[in-house]
Amino acid sequence: MEIRLGGTGGQGLILSAKMLADALARGGRRVAQSQTYEPTSRGGFCHSDLVVSHVEVDYPLATAIDYLVLLDRIALKPSLPLAKPGALVIADTRLCPELPEGKYTGCSLALSRTAIDLGSERVTNIVALGALVALTGVCERAALERAVRADTPRSFLDLNLEALEAGFRLGTEQSVRRVASPAPA
Amino acid sequence: MSIATVAVEPAASNLRLLSGNHACALGAIAAGCRFFAGYPITPSSEIAERLSRELPRVDGVFIQMEDEIASIAAVIGASMGGAKAMTATSGPGFSLKQENLGYAALAEIPCVIVNVMRGGPSTGMPTRPAQGDIMQARWGSHGDFPVIVLAPGSVREIYEETIRAFALAETYRTPVTVLYDQSIAQLLETVELKQPGAPVERKWASGPPEKYQPYAPLDNGVPAMARPGDGYRSHTTGLTHAENGFPTQTPEVVERNIGRLLGKLERHRAAIESFQTLRCEDADVVVVAVGISARAAGSAVAACRAKGIRAGMFRPITLWPFPEEALRRAASGARAVLVPEMNAGQMRLEVERVLGRDVRIEGLHKISGDPIDPAAITARIEALCI
Repeated sequence: MEIRLGGTGGQGLILSAKMLADALARGGRRVAQSQTYEPTSRGGFCHSDLVVSHVEVDYPLATAIDYLVLLDRIALKPSLPLAKPGALVIADTRLCPELPEGKYTGCSLALSRTAIDLGSERVTNIVALGALVALTGVCERAALERAVRADTPRSFLDLNLEALEAGFRLGTEQSVRRVASPAPA
Repeated sequence: MSIATVAVEPAASNLRLLSGNHACALGAIAAGCRFFAGYPITPSSEIAERLSRELPRVDGVFIQMEDEIASIAAVIGASMGGAKAMTATSGPGFSLKQENLGYAALAEIPCVIVNVMRGGPSTGMPTRPAQGDIMQARWGSHGDFPVIVLAPGSVREIYEETIRAFALAETYRTPVTVLYDQSIAQLLETVELKQPGAPVERKWASGPPEKYQPYAPLDNGVPAMARPGDGYRSHTTGLTHAENGFPTQTPEVVERNIGRLLGKLERHRAAIESFQTLRCEDADVVVVAVGISARAAGSAVAACRAKGIRAGMFRPITLWPFPEEALRRAASGARAVLVPEMNAGQMRLEVERVLGRDVRIEGLHKISGDPIDPAAITARIEALCI
């Protein structure tokens, strides 16, 4: 199983991928989490990928992505060609509003809008993690929450936990919609 | 970004999620490293960051120096003082360390240098992986000098090879470079770390002080070092020196001492060499690769075998001295050899030197800052089989 969190530098993609890797590892899965970023501390194409397996990971970099999260349109062009046919692509409604046609299941969610409403756009990454896990069940929600708690500074903990819960809700609501209407965009 | 350690559920309780650079720092501590001097540079900085926390816990010393040259100078001094010492760097930093690396080789000061390869030349691409320092790691300092370079291919192996680097440095009194690329340095993997053995100690001078000669070799070709405070008179210089440690330009003395220095590692090649062979026994095509490119090659070999194509892989873990005989054996039945590497063709030159013209040798080179995809290697293996 391969997962990519893609966006732009400064969105906390590497940190959130590490949290997800923690959650998966806590569940006994073998994980390889890689990262690509620009030398600047903000901006530029940035992504962090997970290759997850029950046995030791052979090639640790992503080549055929099952779950793709796009938090900025900059990640669209370089990432979409790596999505497997039938992959789930979650895109932020504000920062990556247009998903081209393709052999994948697109899912636009108000990730950054939700984070802004919670008080800080900086927690968009955590909202996205919650939504991803609620939609896909790649790991237990409780395991993810433990990982978020472990990797969050105390001053950000309450906000991150709210963001995670909001992400879980967004993902769950979307799942319900997908079941009700089996022809997603 | 700091990387925390995660212990996973009891079912797999020996597994930890670690980055390559974190594993390097833990390996150094396990090997007995108690001194680190460095200057932060992407993508090696996490090693320094981690050791700045770990070393004080074991009564070790961490110093952030003013630059890379001073860092390796401090490491050499600390080692002469009796500590197991290491520095870590990348790209331009490795270039800056070359003069003192040669000094450590000539003065036979054990030390470990980690070089995390990033895109070059010059400042290059700080956050992108490359394998462009393969030849620099061997020949970067001036003159003829012996050096050991280890090229781990996974997070677990970075831990193990860092420990081995210290053991080799101490045993043979030589600088040892641990060489890996950004992909693996900043990769987090679930790993199970082996319990390390006791740290290896260098041979200290013993016997009557008046008979001690700092560069007179023991039976194994390696001289014993004088531990400061033990009462042995020692002299260390970057000038070509005689057995007594003092400079000389007397041809026969130079010939004898530099000859011994250059032969020192050759003599122990069997103990220093390390490599992995994967399904080479009946392979039509043998892929020779290190680091992240070897991870891709291993995947490509599996894909080829699934299609009935007889592919194999030879992976030097000790990159220098290059495991020549082992490669000749691994490629003895091959019709072709493919060398995928993230440079313009460096290890390919060595493979050509070792295998000569008896077998077709091709390179698969990438200098874009992107790793080589397993599918690209698979396609080239298939093309070589036609």
